[in-house]
Amino acid sequence: MQRIGISDAARTHLRNVIYALLIVAATTAVRGAIQWYTGVTHGASIFLIPVIIAAVNWGIVAAVVSALAGGAAAAYFFYPPYFSLYIASPNAILNLVMFIIVAAVIGHLAARLRAEAERARQREIDVRALYEFSRRLAAAFDTSEIHSAIEDHLSTVVERKVVLFPSPREASILPHRRTIVPDSVRDAVVDIAQGGPHSSDTVMIEERPDSTWLVQAVSPKSLEFGVIAINLGRVTKERVNDLRARVGTALSDATATLERLGVAHAINEAHMRSRTEQLRDALIGSVSHELRTPLASIMGAATVLGSTQALASEPRLRALVHDVYSEAERLNSDIQNLLDASRISSEGVTPRMEWADPTDIIHAAIERCRRRLGDRRISLDLPADLPLIHVDAVLVQQALVQIVDNAVKYSPAGSKIEISAAAHDDKLAIKVRDTGVGLTADEKSKMWNRFFRGDRLLATTSGSGLGLWIAHAFITANDGAMTALSAGPGEGTTITIELPVAQAALVHVESEADE
Amino acid sequence: MSKAKPMNSATPVVLIVDDEVQIRRFLRTGFELNGFSVIEVGTGAEAIRSASLQAIDLVIADLALPDIDGAGVIERIRAWSTVPIIVLSVRSNESEKVRLLELGADDYVVKPFGMAELLARVRAALRRQMRAASGEPQVKIGPLTIDLAARAALLNGARLSLTPKEYRLLQVLAQHAGNVVTHQHLLKEVWGSVHVHDTHYLRIFVRKLRQKIEPDPNAPRILVTELGVGYRLVQNGEIDSPAWPHGGATAAAAGSKAG
Repeated sequence: MQRIGISDAARTHLRNVIYALLIVAATTAVRGAIQWYTGVTHGASIFLIPVIIAAVNWGIVAAVVSALAGGAAAAYFFYPPYFSLYIASPNAILNLVMFIIVAAVIGHLAARLRAEAERARQREIDVRALYEFSRRLAAAFDTSEIHSAIEDHLSTVVERKVVLFPSPREASILPHRRTIVPDSVRDAVVDIAQGGPHSSDTVMIEERPDSTWLVQAVSPKSLEFGVIAINLGRVTKERVNDLRARVGTALSDATATLERLGVAHAINEAHMRSRTEQLRDALIGSVSHELRTPLASIMGAATVLGSTQALASEPRLRALVHDVYSEAERLNSDIQNLLDASRISSEGVTPRMEWADPTDIIHAAIERCRRRLGDRRISLDLPADLPLIHVDAVLVQQALVQIVDNAVKYSPAGSKIEISAAAHDDKLAIKVRDTGVGLTADEKSKMWNRFFRGDRLLATTSGSGLGLWIAHAFITANDGAMTALSAGPGEGTTITIELPVAQAALVHVESEADE
Repeated sequence: MSKAKPMNSATPVVLIVDDEVQIRRFLRTGFELNGFSVIEVGTGAEAIRSASLQAIDLVIADLALPDIDGAGVIERIRAWSTVPIIVLSVRSNESEKVRLLELGADDYVVKPFGMAELLARVRAALRRQMRAASGEPQVKIGPLTIDLAARAALLNGARLSLTPKEYRLLQVLAQHAGNVVTHQHLLKEVWGSVHVHDTHYLRIFVRKLRQKIEPDPNAPRILVTELGVGYRLVQNGEIDSPAWPHGGATAAAAGSKAG
């Protein structure tokens, strides 16, 4: 699978040789000037300067070329007969041969020195990177942090962008990686992750002439660390071998650190958990859908039944029919919550932003909650000049429904729920305030969690613990924030939604849009 | 199966398209108890065939049909008929609702729905169809009368002073009184197709219009918002609707006390 362009290497060498020749030419000029002014004629040792410069900067090939060129220049210009490569004196020939040998040895030594210095510099970077890496691993909180630590560590070591596929079996369905990793590389990743023939190798893929990818399992022993793909860009063959070696060293350092910290086990567990969660969400989604269709029949039939002549004079039967309806309705809203929750965690929320009147949103939410209010009263305080907001009105309304629903659930019959809205400092705040059971400090810290329900009232209230979590997700998706305030248990709760106001675009509308 | 009736006879004919037999059953009963006659079919193909063979006054179409989807049914029927179509939709898909309305559906109800709500939409759509056929120029919404011929709006008999845009907005809504009108449709009709995405124009003018026509502009009862979709002028009977179970908390409280 190794297909590497060679023209790059040739081009680099050619460039180095040209530099070497230029510097020999410059030296020749200087040597000429010295001879012109001082009359000193013999000696080629000044041509060692370009040899050392070339060796240190451009490597052994340039050094040898400059040694030979220096010898030739000396023979041509500075040994009689001048302006000819022929040298008359045997002494001078010996002199020149000695020069070339010395130059070659010095050049070789200088080039090795250069390589050593380079290696030491790299090693220092590696060690620093490894130290940083183990520090981050020790502080890592969850698997995604471990993964990004591995990614960053390798990026530092090879000085290129590294992509890590944490659960590579699903590499083909990782949408956010699709933009940067081409399909052939993705296929190689999946192949390695499935324990294919190359699973313990480094696989090189030349995607385009200017982009060569390196794909390798982080650890050949345990695939749960994931698979990395690195775009090496346009590289020479030696550079590829060098980078391969560096990646190999960095990965074995990384794996050793990971194993020492027992990370493999943790990652394994997290994978299991996330797979269970995916399964659960899929199940919830399909079951909920299957449940809603019969519920629509039940509720529709109940409304037809409840409005018949035959039941008009039978209040007790009408009440039963009403119970059928309202219980089905409750079930329906629970199912809707499960659906919303599985939608939030499986695909996320994508709001459809539009200009909306907050008054409309609040009224629509109250309308949806009206039947659940019982004999609680709603008091509304909405200024007439509320600014328009740019949000997904339906999501904000659904969030408000959850909040009001929650207020109803945790406040006594006959109490008042206050809903108010006000604009201040380019924020619109909608407050829902009840006089119910309030919040303890512990409840306040956990109330936005999925499936959280307060222990105090677990026995006397029903619910799934999803409502406020859904509301929070919907408001966050609209660039808003949600906060809860309570003076303590029994003191009521105020939940505030804050949404950004973008007023600037609206100023001219009133005059312009009406002629 | 009831025989085809001539259009606008005393018993309007409703074509129900839904693949769930239980939904069809309660819809049939509900409609028949309210003086409609019913044709029911389970697939889109049958719906299109029925609608072309028989005189139908109104179509109720579910969106998820086994053969053609709801949008396909609407498009095919709209190719040759202006019969009112009401869509049975699922929640949390406002863009789908808007698309169906743009395709030519007259209104929608969201599953699960109560019979009273559906009947209100159906009656509004039928009334509009009749108004179009008879050329009746006046639309009455509670205390509000819109005289389309005289280009005037009256509140409790007193003539309202509206700007041209405000009147145009009210006029378009009145032409569809009782049924939802999408933002896009309103923007196109009132401000022209260039402004079809300038929803904020609409929000501001609806606010101004509510100041003039609503008894309490902060709690609108006549010009109501359908979030994410559009606006609706609420028809006569609906304002103080006794339509259980959508009558609100009082009905619920009364019900549980009786039990």
